[in-house]
Amino acid sequence: MPLSRRAILAGTAAMPLATGPAMAQSRAETLRQVTGNSVNTLDPTMPGSTREAFGISVNVYDRLVGFGRKQGSNGGWVFDPDTIHGELAEKVETSPDGRTFTFHLKRDAKFHDGTPVTAEDVKWSLDRHVSAKSLAAVQIQTGGWTKPEQFQILDPHTVRATVEKPDRLALPNLCTLYCIIINSKLAKQHATAEDPWAQEWLKTNTAGSGAYSVETFKPGEQVILRRNDAWKGGPLPFFRRVICQTIPEAATRASLIERGDADLSIDLMASDIPTLAQRGRVKLVSTPQFNAFTMIAFNTQMAPFNNVKLRQAVAAALPYQDIFKAALFERGAPLFGAGWQGSPPNGKFPQPLPLTQNLDRARALLAEAGYPNGLDTTFSFNVGSAATSEPLAALLKEALGRIGVRVEIQKLPDAQISTLVTEKKLPFLTETSIAWLPSTDYFFRNFFTGNQRWNYSSWNNAEVNAVAEKARYEQDPAEYDRLSRRLIAILAEDVPIIMLWQPNQDAVMPPNVEGYTYQYHRQVDYRDLKRS
Amino acid sequence: MPALLRRAGWRLFGSLPALFGVVVFTFLLMRVLPGDPAIFFASGPNAGEAEIQAIREQMGLDRPIPEQLVRYLGDIGRGRLGRSMGTGQPVVTDLVNRLPASLELTLTALLLALSCALPLGIVAALAPNSAVDHGVRLLCTLGVCVPTFVSGLLLIYAFYYLLGLAPDPTGRIDIFASQPPRVTGFLLIDSALAGDWEAWRAAATQLVLPATTMALFVLAPLARMTRAAMLAVLTSDFIRTGDALGLSRRRVVLVYALRNALLPVITIMGIVFSTMLGANVLVEKVFSWPGVASYALDALLASDYAPVQGFVLLMAAIFVLVNLVVDLLYGLADPRVSME
Repeated sequence: MPLSRRAILAGTAAMPLATGPAMAQSRAETLRQVTGNSVNTLDPTMPGSTREAFGISVNVYDRLVGFGRKQGSNGGWVFDPDTIHGELAEKVETSPDGRTFTFHLKRDAKFHDGTPVTAEDVKWSLDRHVSAKSLAAVQIQTGGWTKPEQFQILDPHTVRATVEKPDRLALPNLCTLYCIIINSKLAKQHATAEDPWAQEWLKTNTAGSGAYSVETFKPGEQVILRRNDAWKGGPLPFFRRVICQTIPEAATRASLIERGDADLSIDLMASDIPTLAQRGRVKLVSTPQFNAFTMIAFNTQMAPFNNVKLRQAVAAALPYQDIFKAALFERGAPLFGAGWQGSPPNGKFPQPLPLTQNLDRARALLAEAGYPNGLDTTFSFNVGSAATSEPLAALLKEALGRIGVRVEIQKLPDAQISTLVTEKKLPFLTETSIAWLPSTDYFFRNFFTGNQRWNYSSWNNAEVNAVAEKARYEQDPAEYDRLSRRLIAILAEDVPIIMLWQPNQDAVMPPNVEGYTYQYHRQVDYRDLKRS
Repeated sequence: MPALLRRAGWRLFGSLPALFGVVVFTFLLMRVLPGDPAIFFASGPNAGEAEIQAIREQMGLDRPIPEQLVRYLGDIGRGRLGRSMGTGQPVVTDLVNRLPASLELTLTALLLALSCALPLGIVAALAPNSAVDHGVRLLCTLGVCVPTFVSGLLLIYAFYYLLGLAPDPTGRIDIFASQPPRVTGFLLIDSALAGDWEAWRAAATQLVLPATTMALFVLAPLARMTRAAMLAVLTSDFIRTGDALGLSRRRVVLVYALRNALLPVITIMGIVFSTMLGANVLVEKVFSWPGVASYALDALLASDYAPVQGFVLLMAAIFVLVNLVVDLLYGLADPRVSME
């Protein structure tokens, strides 16, 4: 192409006009999130994915269906596990027996490369989630999804999915971030004989249809997302560009937000939050994590804590309110100190249990348990949680010392405590757990039955095992509530764990960022946010 | 010159057994440490025994340790260092991406430290036990006794948070600036090659605070060593002769004395450089610098074997190279010392 001098001059003269406002606009329409951890994969189902990787995938991929949101108890937005709306599905029909779900796909939905989303892609993706060695299979089996035959193509825009028994969590499981819908034509091009599901390729590449596409991905440093203006999964998000940057130092993250250079952080130090709020330059959205709970767990399969009286004695000896104040600065919802005895008022879980300090009762129970002179034990926690666990452990040691239980505190690195917990070797520990699908039977099935890692107390109560399994398939809400109350009553009586609290998630942002929603995956759904 | 190259080649060849020893030792050490990486990475909400086993197989940890070692050595022979579970990338890719960041920071800090330490050491040696000497001693002591994460956070607080002079202390270049195309991985060089002076400025300003933090910490060994060596040389006969012959004080001190005093300074410089590269994990963490040291620390906390082993091997190789360069510099500073 011949270039004349006039054309060049005209071009340079026009440039500042064109770029100036565009640049200014792009900062306002760019969201910069700073986080302490890093995104290590673009495929959330990869074993070893970090939570930050989950957050990115929510925005890059669509699922058939997603959870709605509602106003939480403190006025902020939280996800609503009871309302399910379509993302790629325009409409979901559930059969009267609760076993069959028919998904009608949005006809205009397209993947980032422009190919339309078809029933074939949906089938391939769901087949992948139940067949490939990934995190997805273990999660969605909790909803009854175990084999490819359950997914059926009716026509290019309709898919039918069938479960054997009417499972309460069948549809909610398809909302979770593992159930991404992948561009099967693109992925198959990168599949090999050893890797039929293109797992290797999808770690560093994406084949989604979500609200954002990946502009740059530097593992351990940053991910930059660009808005997909052709997105059909919902209303177009406000931010055109999103930067998710890894800043390991919490103090630096806090100053970046205060100076207005960064727009969001959800993992600042709990001890910095009150000061930040007080200085008033940032907006703080604190949400009790209503699908999580911090607990003290006893190993119920090992002496000495296989003795229920001893567990009850320890539970009666702890100064709950003091621990809540010292360890968490009361930033959360307490799960102790309920007034009921016997059976709880409702079937919601986690809910406060009747745990209060009563040293006389503790001493009496200890004697009944056969330890009139007390005993020695070790209490373990994770270095990563030291900020809250350290004061907790100190107060616990002091309180138990008063009834004669001598505690040695053991602080272990992450990888080491995971190993010991999985091998069930620790007698007495504290942990925080989270359930993506906060229904009572799900909590009990995952955290209080079976031999997997998350059953921290290795609790094996025949009635709980049976009732939780029954509740899973119970369609009648009144009966479900009755079963749930029974489960909670047994938990309160048998004390395999001591429930402490639900910690707040503190999201800090400049005052002009709005719409922050606490999500089940505890990461940021950029689609919710806007700048006013 | 060919003789020199041959000798350098022999030196490198001779260091291979040491590198082999480092590889085997790190390999065994990682496996002795408590903590099972497979369990750590199988941390999904419902991860059970099957998932843990799958990860173990993926990482090759289900095989006996001698077999793992042989496989690992075979991989190194083919230029592979395994895959990091933490970043999901091959370790070689991660190290290649991150090493220039660490080198750029360390070299800048070392140059900065030398440009302060040499004059300070010389001034202190010229007037021992004077007020100036005590002042230098105080400065060095302060620099070395304040931990780097404290001085780093203080610098950030003062120059970024309060004064707003420094750019936000997050990484190698302003996140909103455009990155120069990657040639060497050194941002200052790459942006200069691309002629992108705005990017050069952005990268240079990001370097100032972390480089100062690191330089403060290593000021003491360099300045103290310069002072000690200069004191010894300044009392030598040839200096008295030079003074007696009426040479200018400047020429005597900077040309004749300094050159003879440089040998110990070069030695300590080599050690300081190697230490800074690996040990400045705190500076890298505080300034979110995407370097190799913070990478290795993250991997170590997660019991992620491959990156830690790769990092130790890289550091050992760099140590060998730095020692070689130091030996070559000896020859330049003092022709009587040769590589033999």
